[in-house]
Amino acid sequence: MPRFLASRSALVGTAIVVVVAAVMVASGQRQALVIGVITGAGYGLVALGLVLIYKSSGVFNFAQGEFGTVAVYTLYGVHDLAGVPLLPAMLVGLAAAAAMALATERVIIRPLFSAPRVTLLVATAGVSLLAISLELWLGEARIRFIQPALGRLDRVSVFGVQVSDQRLLVLAALLMLAVLLGLFFSRTNLGLAILGVSQEPVATELMGISVRRLSSFTWALTGVLAGLAGMLTAPVVGSFAPGFLTTTSLIPAFTAAVLGGMTSLPGAFVGGVVVGVAQSLAVSAPIFYENIPGPGAVMVFVLLVVVLALRPQGLLGKSS
Amino acid sequence: MSLEESIDAPPVLEEHAVADPIAVQPAAPPFRPRPVGWMARGIVMAAVAALVLLLPTTKGAVDVHIYTQAVIFAIIGLSLNVLLGYTGQISLGHHAFVGIGAFTSAYMVTVHGQPFVAAVAMAMVVGGLQALLLGAVSLRITGLYFALVTLAYGTMAEESLFNIQKLTGGSAGQPAPKPTWFTTDLRYYYLCLAFLAAVIWVDWRLMKTKGGRALSAVRENPRVAATFGTDVKIYTLMAFVVAGVFAGLGGALLAHNDTFVVRDLFNFQLALVFVIMTVVGGLRNRTGVVIGSAFFGLIGYFFDKLFEHGLDLRVLKVLPKEYAPIVIGPMLLLFTLTRHPGGMGQQVRPLQRWLRGGRFSFKDTHEDEVRVSDVRA
Repeated sequence: MPRFLASRSALVGTAIVVVVAAVMVASGQRQALVIGVITGAGYGLVALGLVLIYKSSGVFNFAQGEFGTVAVYTLYGVHDLAGVPLLPAMLVGLAAAAAMALATERVIIRPLFSAPRVTLLVATAGVSLLAISLELWLGEARIRFIQPALGRLDRVSVFGVQVSDQRLLVLAALLMLAVLLGLFFSRTNLGLAILGVSQEPVATELMGISVRRLSSFTWALTGVLAGLAGMLTAPVVGSFAPGFLTTTSLIPAFTAAVLGGMTSLPGAFVGGVVVGVAQSLAVSAPIFYENIPGPGAVMVFVLLVVVLALRPQGLLGKSS
Repeated sequence: MSLEESIDAPPVLEEHAVADPIAVQPAAPPFRPRPVGWMARGIVMAAVAALVLLLPTTKGAVDVHIYTQAVIFAIIGLSLNVLLGYTGQISLGHHAFVGIGAFTSAYMVTVHGQPFVAAVAMAMVVGGLQALLLGAVSLRITGLYFALVTLAYGTMAEESLFNIQKLTGGSAGQPAPKPTWFTTDLRYYYLCLAFLAAVIWVDWRLMKTKGGRALSAVRENPRVAATFGTDVKIYTLMAFVVAGVFAGLGGALLAHNDTFVVRDLFNFQLALVFVIMTVVGGLRNRTGVVIGSAFFGLIGYFFDKLFEHGLDLRVLKVLPKEYAPIVIGPMLLLFTLTRHPGGMGQQVRPLQRWLRGGRFSFKDTHEDEVRVSDVRA
């Protein structure tokens, strides 16, 4: 059994999610629930990367969204423009995201290893802005349209809500990824070493594990995660523009990571789903969108402040 | 030997003289420039003053409008410097701070028909109040988490507050005419310069007060500061309010400079530009922040001029001018952070020292190397 199911707080968190879901189904917000869960899984994927980097480098990585956007641009260039088949093109996109993450780690993070963490945060924000401006320049600042891999919209319905095939594909891919990551971090030596570094870097180094090499690997891994998040969600939206994943997902993903206590991987994923559902509810429930402009952003902000004020260790995190 | 004599005698100097052959003459007077030296310094200062005060008179309204914007950026940079430099809290939502100031002023003038002075005062009050609220939140959560809250706050303001039709005019925007006596761009430029001078003076005087010293103590080490009886919360809140007031002022001036406020101006990229210009300018260095902010306010203009005068570099040909500032800005930021943490302020320090009547030297430029304070989380 994966470790995260064994913890009591995870069970409590899951119970809360189930109750909220039941209430939403009962009150007729099924659409919001289904869409929210799938969007939220995407947030969860970005949040996983944020948590991984926070654990390994102690940085809030504001460039995380841009790793994903770069992957989307690469996918678009290789698949839609150059005509390479989808799967190889996706691999190229993932490689681009991983390369960008590695370069960030090498050029920015490593020289600033002993710098204060706020400096590092400004640096990652700088990387993000640089990536956005390069996209604006090279990508000609316009909105581009991207076709979903699966086009049918009405094949499947959940709770009476029609879900497009692409959304189902995203959900399936994300669930599979979550299980794979769970296995990776609980069963493989590499995964355990990463967790070890995040808890006791010195002791891990003494066990003969290169902390530097693992740091590079962790950054590459988060690049891949962000790349997947970008390439899976962009076709659902149907279009993308410079800064795509940063504008849509970065703040919700951070909120998700905070909900999970900033250090818990399953917590980040569950947090993503919670944020996705809350945001989707705010956008689709008349009581919110008739009275508040931009209800989604307000909901995320309120959620973030409330969680930080009441339970800074996160819903699923342990209090330190 | 009496007590007074032992104090008067310089024993340390003599020891030094033996160890250090350069300091053989113990009674070397402190360096004073000769009259020629003072004259040279005076000429340089006059040249800088002429550049700031007289150059705009020779230019057209379009150019002066951009200079004014650079002056306002300097005010905003100083505002962010209070947060980032003095308290070590990073605000990624400063576009919201500035935007709220801009919309408040435009709302007061256009909808309520208030005079400019009242509108700007109101913008400063509202700016201070919102900073106070966010500051109250930040007392519980510091460092990285605070950055996150400001970011979410900025996005919320962007998508929600700035879309309230009654206050901001929605997507159409809100007119913000220039004040009565300053209707031309040139006069408004001088008005903004006066405001900048006032902000610099207030900032300088505030840092000399007990509160200012308390802030540096808190930044260096909050626990030690608290042990010595410094009320960390009150002084941090004070810094927030000051930053908010400056940002509100900057926003109001920005609104009336453009004579029209649109919500699209205040986006996340702008917040990042604010952070970049403050850090590249050099935290806790007023001169540096002003130079850095003005530089980023003018960077697009510089490139315009370069292209106008037939600059023919292949690299810049490839890089279109509208993207040059936003590509070069982040690069400068990353370069500053990894190589020159003192920023522009540190680069101009030899010149500053010389202007104050010291010797010109590139040595000891690292006298107090700038560090963003560590996280208190």
